[in-house]
Parts: sequence; C-alpha cells; structure tokens
Amino acid sequence: MSVDWITVAAQIVNFLVLVWLLKRFLYRPILDGIDAREQEITQRMQEAVHAREEAETREQEYQDQIESLNLKQADMTETIRKEAEKQRDVLLAEARERLERERASWSIHLDEEKRKYTSRLHRVGASAILALTGKALTDLADETLEERMVQSLARRIEPMASDLRRAAGQAAEAVVTSHAPLSQAGQDAMESKLQEVFPDLSVRFEANDEQSHGLILRIGGAQLAWTVETYLDGLDKMIDAQLSSREGSGAQSDEQ
Amino acid sequence: MTLSPDQNILFEIWGIAINATVFFTWVVMALLTLAAAFITRNLRPDVPPGRWRTTLEVIVLGIQSQIEEVSGRREDHLLYFAGTLFLFVAVSNLLLVVPGFEPPTASLSTTTALALSVLIAVPLFGITSRGLGGYLKTYLEPTFVMLPFNIISEASRGISLAIRLYGNIMSGAVIAAILLSIVPFFFPVVMDVLGLLTGLIQAYIFAILATVYISSATASSQPKKDTQ
Repeated sequence: MSVDWITVAAQIVNFLVLVWLLKRFLYRPILDGIDAREQEITQRMQEAVHAREEAETREQEYQDQIESLNLKQADMTETIRKEAEKQRDVLLAEARERLERERASWSIHLDEEKRKYTSRLHRVGASAILALTGKALTDLADETLEERMVQSLARRIEPMASDLRRAAGQAAEAVVTSHAPLSQAGQDAMESKLQEVFPDLSVRFEANDEQSHGLILRIGGAQLAWTVETYLDGLDKMIDAQLSSREGSGAQSDEQ
Repeated sequence: MTLSPDQNILFEIWGIAINATVFFTWVVMALLTLAAAFITRNLRPDVPPGRWRTTLEVIVLGIQSQIEEVSGRREDHLLYFAGTLFLFVAVSNLLLVVPGFEPPTASLSTTTALALSVLIAVPLFGITSRGLGGYLKTYLEPTFVMLPFNIISEASRGISLAIRLYGNIMSGAVIAAILLSIVPFFFPVVMDVLGLLTGLIQAYIFAILATVYISSATASSQPKKDTQ
C-alpha cells in the first residue's frame, strides 16, 4: 500500500473539476430553480391574494348594483302598478262610455224597429181591417166600405161646418181625394151633402194611390180627413202603450 | 490481486499512464455531470418538476439541510464542496456492485487527495470568512502554547479522514474478493450489500466531517447570524 502522489495530484484536480462541473450543472440549476419556483409561488400567491381582493371588491360592487337594481325594480313595479291602475280606469271609463253608446245605439235601433213594426202593423192591420170590413159590409149589408165612409164623412161635415167655413175662407172649390176612384153613387152622395152645407162650392173628386184608404176633404186651407190611417192612430197609441209596458217589465227582469 | 487500483495501468495518453483510479474517477465524474446536465437541461419555474428533477432536489436540499444543521447557516460554497465530496464518494462506493468497476475511493491516493482537499479547504474557507489574520489567530487560541497542538490537530484531521475512507472501502472490496474466492456465490453478495451500506455511511461521515471542520474554521466570525 503506497500513495502515488501523481495520482493524488490528478485526483485533486479531478475533484476540483467535479466541484465546478456539479456547481455548473447541478447545484446552481437546482437551487436557482427552487428559488425561481418559490418566487413564482410567492408571486402567484400574491396575485391570488390580489385576485381575491379584486373579486371581493367586485362582489361588493355587484351586491351594491343588485341592491340598487332591486330598489329600482321596486320603484318601477310601483310605477307600473299605478300606471296599470290608471290605464285600467281609463279602459273602464272607455268601456262604460262605449257601453252607453251601444245602449243608446241599441235604443235607437229598438225605436227604429218599433217604428218599422208599427208601420208594418199599420199596413197589415189596415189591409186586414179593410178586407174584413169590406167583406162584412158587402156580405151582410150589400154595401161597400167607401160608401159607408162617404156617409160617415158626410155626417161629420155638418157639425164642423162653421169651422170648415171659417177655415175655407174665400175658396170656391172643394176637393175630395180617395185611394181609389169613388163610385158614382159615393160621388153623388158626397156632392149633395157638400151642396147642402156649402151651396156655392163646386166639388171635384180625385184619386191618389199614395193616400191611405178613406177620404180627405180640402176646402181652401181647411182639411177634414176620414181615413184608415186616422182610425189606426188609436191603434198606434194602444200598441205603443203595450210596447212601453213590455220594455218596462223587461228592464226590471234584466236588473234582477 | 492488487490492493490498490493505482497499480492497474489501463492505457496511456501522450505517454502519460492512466491508471484505474483516474479512469474510474472520470467515469464517476462523467456519470454525475451528464446525469445532472440531462435532468436540469430545461428548468423553468412555471413547469412542475418531474420525478428525476425532484429526486435531485431532494438530494441537494438534503445535503443543504445537513450542512445548515452542522454549520448553523446556509453557505453555498460549502454546499458545492461538501456536496461534491458526498456525491463523489457515494457514487463511487455504490458503483462497487458493477462488475469490473474499481471504486476510486478504494485507492489511498484518492482518499489522500480528498483529505488534502479538505485540509486545504479548511484554511481557505477560514481565511475567506475571517480574513488571514483572523484565521491565523485561531491557531493561538486559547493561548500561543497551543500552537503546535493546533497544527498537529489540523494535520491529523486530514490523515484520519484519508485513512478512514480508504480503509473502509478498500477493506470491503478486499473482503469481497477473498470471500468470492472461498465461497463463490452467497457470501460475496452479502458482503457487496454490506459494502453498499458502509460506502454510503462513509460518504456521509466523510462529508459531515469535512463540513464540521470547515464550519468550525468559519463559525466564530458569523455567530449564528443566518440561523434565525
């Protein structure tokens, strides 16, 4: 066993070289890497702390915003509710007004219908009365309705003679109009009656198919009518009274 | 059978004989350097460390913590020196199990070189730390009468280190060789396993003693300053 001093020197050099190599390739990279990693971790933790603080700040901001929005929402809800109530009142008023208008329109329509019904009833009633009366007179008394109406009118002339004379003034002609041309017997009866009351008047007979059945006597400004229409005026009043009573009872039942 | 690999000349370079001690020292150096360079070639702080890098970090931090425990402070230069001592001795001793490998630490020349390195490093670290006057003053402590004893003490440290390492490694290798010739199979394996253990223990003891010597030379100038 001996010491080779050349080898010793070589080994010292080798060892120093190894120290440098390991410092270069092992210790410094590892230690620097650890330091850098620690620094990185510290930096990331600081960033995380900052991020957390920022997140908390943002959270607080969002909470404030949410509270503000909730308040605004409550205000908006209240405003909308009031607006809706106002709108509802307006719509209700409009609806009531429209209902009133429709009711008025319906009333007008009802009146029109009533008038049409009355008119139709006039015509039908007049026709029926004329037919029945004419047939009854013809069958039972061998007379016509026009003749009977001439007689009836002639009876009415005399009580009203003073009024007619005053209304007639200076008229020189009396005009008798009928729906259909009067028979000769009817004309003669009428003319003789008028000659009795107004001897100075001439009598003229006319036919007017737009006039209702019956006779109308005109002397100047005076007029005496004896027609089915005037007869039916009473019937109209009766029908009006009947319809009014029906409407009253219908309204009561609607209210109930 | 040769007791020292110094006598085993492997080849010559430009007329210089390269013995097994130097050659296998180069092998260990190349192995350590290449492994370290390969593992640490792409270090980035944002990339998580792999298993090999973690292994190296454990080794380096383990050495560093041992040095801190002994010296009471973190000192990178001491880490380079003592850590390299430990790694070189440990790897050399562990490669004992490789067939044909002759551990350089089994050479008295190598252990002497390492001991001399420690012997030289102690005053260098001391002078670096305390200054030349401060270091020489330690030889006169506690009184100038102690000067020869302090010098003998310093010399005996290196000698004891060299003999300790050489004796353990060489004896392990020699005993394994003898047992291999007597009982070919079982006992050499057991002795090799034992040799691995004692090799690591010797590496640890060698590095720790070097650290103790160096830190004792530098301790008083920085009393516990960095330990907190």
